[in-house]
Amino acid sequence: MTVQVVLAGSIFIAIYGLIISEKVNRAAAAVFGGALMVLLGVVSESNVIDFIDFGTIGLLIGMMVIVNIMKKTGIFEYMAIRAAQKAKAEPWMIMVLFSIITALASALLDNVTTILLIAPVTFVITETLKINPYPYIIVEVMMANIGGTATLIGDPPNIMIGSANGLGFVDFITNLGPVVAVIIVVTLLIVKFTVGKKLHVTQENKQKIMAMDNTHTIKDRKLLIKSVLILVITVLGFIFHSALHLESATVALSGAAILLFISGLDPEDIFMEIEWTTIFFFISLFVLVGGLQEAGIINMFAEVILNATHGNVFWTVMSLLWASALLSAFLDNIPFVATMIPLIQSMGQISGMDTTPLWWALALGACLGGNGTMIGASANVVACGMLERKNHKVNFFEYMKLAFPLMIVSIVISTIYLGLFYV
Amino acid sequence: MQKYVIADAMEHEMKLVQLGGTVTQINGKLCYVQFDIGGIEIEYVYNINNKGKFFLERIKPYPLPVKVFDKESGLIDIIDIDLEQFRVAALSHNMPKFIKMGQLFHNTAKRYEDLFLYYNVPESTIDALLLNLENANKIIDECKATANRVYFKKEPDNL
Repeated sequence: MTVQVVLAGSIFIAIYGLIISEKVNRAAAAVFGGALMVLLGVVSESNVIDFIDFGTIGLLIGMMVIVNIMKKTGIFEYMAIRAAQKAKAEPWMIMVLFSIITALASALLDNVTTILLIAPVTFVITETLKINPYPYIIVEVMMANIGGTATLIGDPPNIMIGSANGLGFVDFITNLGPVVAVIIVVTLLIVKFTVGKKLHVTQENKQKIMAMDNTHTIKDRKLLIKSVLILVITVLGFIFHSALHLESATVALSGAAILLFISGLDPEDIFMEIEWTTIFFFISLFVLVGGLQEAGIINMFAEVILNATHGNVFWTVMSLLWASALLSAFLDNIPFVATMIPLIQSMGQISGMDTTPLWWALALGACLGGNGTMIGASANVVACGMLERKNHKVNFFEYMKLAFPLMIVSIVISTIYLGLFYV
Repeated sequence: MQKYVIADAMEHEMKLVQLGGTVTQINGKLCYVQFDIGGIEIEYVYNINNKGKFFLERIKPYPLPVKVFDKESGLIDIIDIDLEQFRVAALSHNMPKFIKMGQLFHNTAKRYEDLFLYYNVPESTIDALLLNLENANKIIDECKATANRVYFKKEPDNL
């Protein structure tokens, strides 16, 4: 075992431990680990840039800029009031409509951003109805994680998988869209019979929702038209990016640049709201995993897994799906996926097996697995933080009692789907 | 933390729009400043932003909106003068009474607001309070005419 292997392995395990412990800010831990990898010579200074996946970084920044501009129009508040009134202020119907909005929004935005947009409007509606926001927020965060699984841009693990393997928007939506649609329907049916029957509000409070004025919610109609137009063009760009010979990141950043230019808004205000902590977390993770690659640890693990599964695609896919799901329920799925990507690529290179089903298994496992516990995905942590700011303390086991079985159901559905159509 | 603040601001804005308000959110820095002058705690709060409005408020020893500025450079000068005046005033044996009065004025204003907003106040009561306040102002004017001035770097803003 070389010094480089020992150093890379030790730094990676120590930093991973710090991230899991949540004793240190995860971005601070990752940046420190990335710096150690370079300072101690595990990753050479000349190679460090090559390990950073600028496709992922560009896509994240581009979509964050578009959303930050779009939310200034008041569109999300408008949609929430409209949905609540369309549901005639019936609490279960509001939950269904908000779930659908969340799942659709999450397919186009990352899950944390979706929750940061949907949770505030949910609080306003539930406060008006004088009903506990807890079940609404929990179901929304689950829908954000499920909806985000369907597309390239919906969840950071998918962005990383797509960017590393050249899988595009259409690849994700055609391969994962159908199973995600089934999971959404099944999840909502289970929620209806467990949570839905406990939702009751008075007629007086329903009237307050119906009396809400939506005429002044849209603050800037011109900006709304520009934002929607650019969002549509950007999504079309994702769909046709292969034909256009453009990377998804180029499409997202171009959309962001055009919208920023035509919006007339102060770029400083927009850039200020970009989640730079997340961006630096990603950059540092790429360097950390790059250290493992440079030291040859990724190849070593790939060989171990191939020996264990004897290169059998069915068992490899199923093991990856379930292992990803169970690990992602308790660990941050972003560093997990960042580590698995070079591992799967290495397995493909060593054995020559078709790795396509493995990518879908990884995406389904990592994205849906995050639903299992309140710490399984960043969106869950943010949602619980928002509930706690509203004096609704979220208990780990209480959350798990509702979420974990639903997560297992979604993985069972994914197992059947992958078994039927991919292996 | 920043993401929670942005989400809270979004929720507040939605509620305020429903109340009929027009909300403008301005990114900026809220600055909280503490001084200790001879055992007297003096605290200020002000905001800095690039939209050209700066609100300075003294919150201790008693709350007082000091000024709205168009340029941030004026803020530090005003705090500097304020501190200097407090340093001089701290030498007076009447300082504890001065602070007590400042707090009393502030509390009286809040109590009067509660009285008017929560009760049907007779006009005679308002007239009586007005008369007392006018008397207090008359005493301030009479004192100004006879007392020795002790601070000359700047003219009074409200006298």
